[in-house]
Amino acid sequence: MSEPLLAIESVHVSYGRVQAVRDVSIEVPEGGLVALIGANGAGKSSVLAAAAGLVRPKSGAVRLDGRDITRWPAHRRVAAGLVLVPEGRQILGSLTVAENLRLGAYRRRRQAAPEAEMYDLFPVLAERRSLPAGSLSGGEQQMLAIARAMIARPRVMLLDEPSMGLAPKVVDEVFAAIEQIRRAGVTVVLVEQNARRALRTADTAHVMETGGTAHSGPAEELLSDPRVVKAYLGVD
Amino acid sequence: MVQQLANGVFAGSIYALFAIGFTLVFGILRHLNLAHAAIFTAGAFAGIELAVRFDLPVWAMFPAVAAIGAVLGVVLERTAFRPLSGRDDEHFAGLISSIAFGGVLIAVLHARYGTEPKSFPQEYFPNRLYEIAGVRVTLTQIVTLALALALMLGLAWLVSSSPMGRAMRAVAENPGAARVLGVNVGLVTAGTYALSSGLGAVAGALLALNLGQAGRGLGASIELIGFAVIILGGLGSLWGAMAAGLVLGLAEALTVHWLDSTWKGMVAFAVLFAVLVLRPRGLFGHVKVREV
Repeated sequence: MSEPLLAIESVHVSYGRVQAVRDVSIEVPEGGLVALIGANGAGKSSVLAAAAGLVRPKSGAVRLDGRDITRWPAHRRVAAGLVLVPEGRQILGSLTVAENLRLGAYRRRRQAAPEAEMYDLFPVLAERRSLPAGSLSGGEQQMLAIARAMIARPRVMLLDEPSMGLAPKVVDEVFAAIEQIRRAGVTVVLVEQNARRALRTADTAHVMETGGTAHSGPAEELLSDPRVVKAYLGVD
Repeated sequence: MVQQLANGVFAGSIYALFAIGFTLVFGILRHLNLAHAAIFTAGAFAGIELAVRFDLPVWAMFPAVAAIGAVLGVVLERTAFRPLSGRDDEHFAGLISSIAFGGVLIAVLHARYGTEPKSFPQEYFPNRLYEIAGVRVTLTQIVTLALALALMLGLAWLVSSSPMGRAMRAVAENPGAARVLGVNVGLVTAGTYALSSGLGAVAGALLALNLGQAGRGLGASIELIGFAVIILGGLGSLWGAMAAGLVLGLAEALTVHWLDSTWKGMVAFAVLFAVLVLRPRGLFGHVKVREV
């Protein structure tokens, strides 16, 4: 088996005395889509935060393309092509749509895609490029958050709850965008509460429970694993 | 009368340049930096020392003063603000520690330059006098206005249109989101202080050049005027600081014209009072609800 592009190796994350992630290991092959599912507070977002450099793990390592990046600050990881689309979108509402996109390319000016390419992909953003991003609807803001990460032409995109709080139709659009990201050859780690949707999109998945990994395997197998079905997918 | 107004514009451009650095730090970082006047004073003394000891011509003196101010700004951020970041009382504590930094800086200036004011060398700057439409202006005043305007417009362009400026505004709105986008928040913070203090130091050297000399009290004399400018312009508003600086310079000039110069010192207080009563947001300020 070839070396994974992103590897999270026995990572522990604590906030003060609260242990959020305990001994989690995840390997993401180049071009793969790995989903992290599980209940609220299971530690999924903390795993992404550790991968993106927003929290320093208590122990364990993060590797990008074999290089140990555990001690790299967040901005250096972005420069290396490891980009996070954060939970809650974190759009800069007082800046225009175009300025948000340009900030997405801030660390990767050489590799970045032209702004026009993002407008082709997300026409709704083109119409609003000179408006403050805060004036967009929730779904449009999520598209902007994804576009802002894509403009950097990342190697790995970490998506934290991209469908949270969105109407079903908009959720469809978000997952369509994720498919496109994938087709563009970007490696994806997807954290989702919408477990069924996530498992249908992913190659492999990890089910997290109270900070640890409960089940792992090919997404298809987990979709039919009775324990996963019972706890996370409900009865069909 | 027109002569007084012209003098008001020249003074106002220095007020504006002093205030814009202060308001920049507030606008981006929400820090009230009370060491700004001390850095202004340090800029004045640095300019004089560079002229006296190193014979630096004016065109080289100002960039050097800006660089010294920028370095002081970075040291200020490192010592007075960064160690406090993350505390609940970060902003208030920073305000206090910046007063302390300013006090230390003034004491250092005292130790180095003594109590007597220091002067620029005789004929350091050509004392040419021009008459434009009946108004007498000196070359120093023209250079002052031109340099102050150029620096302020340059800053406004930098903040509104450059990648660095976008990163600064991203940090102003949401440091966490800026970090996710790859903005080095620590570097932007230090850069903001460097810019602010560089401009403040140049403003100090400009005032000293106009007066021909500088004393330890130079910063204290402009501090209150600077606050009136910032409040009038709206805290954090760059254009507001520019406009309000000129307004205050003109208000002082008219006070001198209609009353006499003993009333000049009252203008800043009167403006502060009037703004706080009538329009606490300032002329250009917006009501901003900040998320916690």
